[in-house]
Amino acid sequence: MARVPIEEGYFRVPADPADLPRLLGSRCPSCGEAFFPRRLVCANCLHEGTTDVELSTQGRIHTWTYCHVPMFGKKDADVAGYGVAQVDLSDGPRVQSIVRGGPGDLSVGLDVEIDLETLRTESNGDEVVIYRFRPVAPRASEPAAGEAQ
Amino acid sequence: MTRKGLTYEGVAVAGIGMVRFGMLAERPLAHLARDAGLLALHDAGMTLADVDEAFVGYIQPASMLGIKAMKELGLTGLPVTNIENASATGLVAFREAAWAVSSGRADVAMALCFDKFTDMARGGGRGSGRDRIDAPILPAAYFAMWAQRRMHERGTTVEQFATIAAKNWNYGAACPFAHRRPDHVVTAEEVLAARMVAEPLTSMMCCPPDDGAACVIVARADLVKARQPDRVLVRPVASALQSESYAPGHVFVGPVVGPATMTRDTALECYEAASLGPEDVSVAYCHDAFINEELEYYELLGFCAEGDAERLVAEGATGPGGRIPFNTDGGLLARGHPGGPTGLAMLHESVLQLRGEAHGRQVDGARVALSHLVGGGSVSTVTLLQADQ
Repeated sequence: MARVPIEEGYFRVPADPADLPRLLGSRCPSCGEAFFPRRLVCANCLHEGTTDVELSTQGRIHTWTYCHVPMFGKKDADVAGYGVAQVDLSDGPRVQSIVRGGPGDLSVGLDVEIDLETLRTESNGDEVVIYRFRPVAPRASEPAAGEAQ
Repeated sequence: MTRKGLTYEGVAVAGIGMVRFGMLAERPLAHLARDAGLLALHDAGMTLADVDEAFVGYIQPASMLGIKAMKELGLTGLPVTNIENASATGLVAFREAAWAVSSGRADVAMALCFDKFTDMARGGGRGSGRDRIDAPILPAAYFAMWAQRRMHERGTTVEQFATIAAKNWNYGAACPFAHRRPDHVVTAEEVLAARMVAEPLTSMMCCPPDDGAACVIVARADLVKARQPDRVLVRPVASALQSESYAPGHVFVGPVVGPATMTRDTALECYEAASLGPEDVSVAYCHDAFINEELEYYELLGFCAEGDAERLVAEGATGPGGRIPFNTDGGLLARGHPGGPTGLAMLHESVLQLRGEAHGRQVDGARVALSHLVGGGSVSTVTLLQADQ
């Protein structure tokens, strides 16, 4: 059984389930702006050529909602409902993501951490996964977000 | 780079037509387009032989649909250009038709748009398929997050959103072209009691999926005057169109309509090109696909200062008899939102208002109408129409 991303090129699934997944982003060597997903031309200064980075696993909720009608207008959902948030990553980009927790658990300014959610299991046993964020309990000293390059 | 709105010279609306939006599964797309086109031609007193150029818009993922639809109206050899700009498609098709006439390359130009959500729902539609990174994040969620942020920053209440929704449902009841025509007066309480879709938006705060078609024909103003001497002459004055500008916090994956400032900047460009201001506008139409948007656009389109939109709601300023009625045909929320045709339906209603023919919902003395749309992907566009006195 393997965990496979719903779509290639957006996040890395760690071999060790104890490790956190990483969003694949870009950083502009000219102006320093970071982006998700990866892009060749910097959206901020139009510099051509960016550096591949793995983005921070930590972020903060900019805004959120909870979808009670999953896949609104679509018939193939097999979940009852789910949270969605815009998360400001600690190293810059704002990403939209599903987020764990009920409507009572979510709020603007909440600290969150990246995680994986299994969307379905294929007939060969592969689990199709997507990134999501989950609330983290406030800690006295947050370790600095690493940035593998 | 210099960017400014388009100013139209010597152009007038010759004819309008639309098929009432709804779930029209039994009616072929090409027939919806044909019927809207014929209604507009009849309204203009023309046949396709009079039309020099056509701009056809739809968001269905299909090739050459525009040409196929136009053939239903006749085969005259006219140039047909397909236009697609998501929800903003209709206004952008009109922008090009009006410019074709203003620039002198056409005497008569047609904007024709059509879409069928019932076809797209059967598969192959944009956003269909679940193996996409942004599949779980729906437009409703995107706009609900905008609503939550507003509530956080400004203390806006769900009751205020619901009050705007009730207004648009009740406008829909008065408009024969609206999909949703409630048989009773809708209250904010009823809106709030509807099924929750994405907090804080209930199903009665979200537009329906729709099928439909709409058409607007523009022509040289002197030709329109000669053909319709007794009718109020309605002129496209100006339009503006922008795509996103980057700012920190920009979201790239999932439903996005770009930063809210895009609407403000587009409106400013359009006002400047028209030599008009928000104080000149009699009636306005905006992208109220999700009702919290309308509240934001009161500010972004310049009808009140930032932070004052809630006061407009409390005063009833955007409803019947108000200072600046919004979405008098029910808006996307009640009139419906098929996609491509939506912008032309706004212009259809604008023209009825400016002609004084919007029975049951007429804005007294309407002279200037503003239409605004955003489109996922992402664009913002504003068009101003003005009636001759």
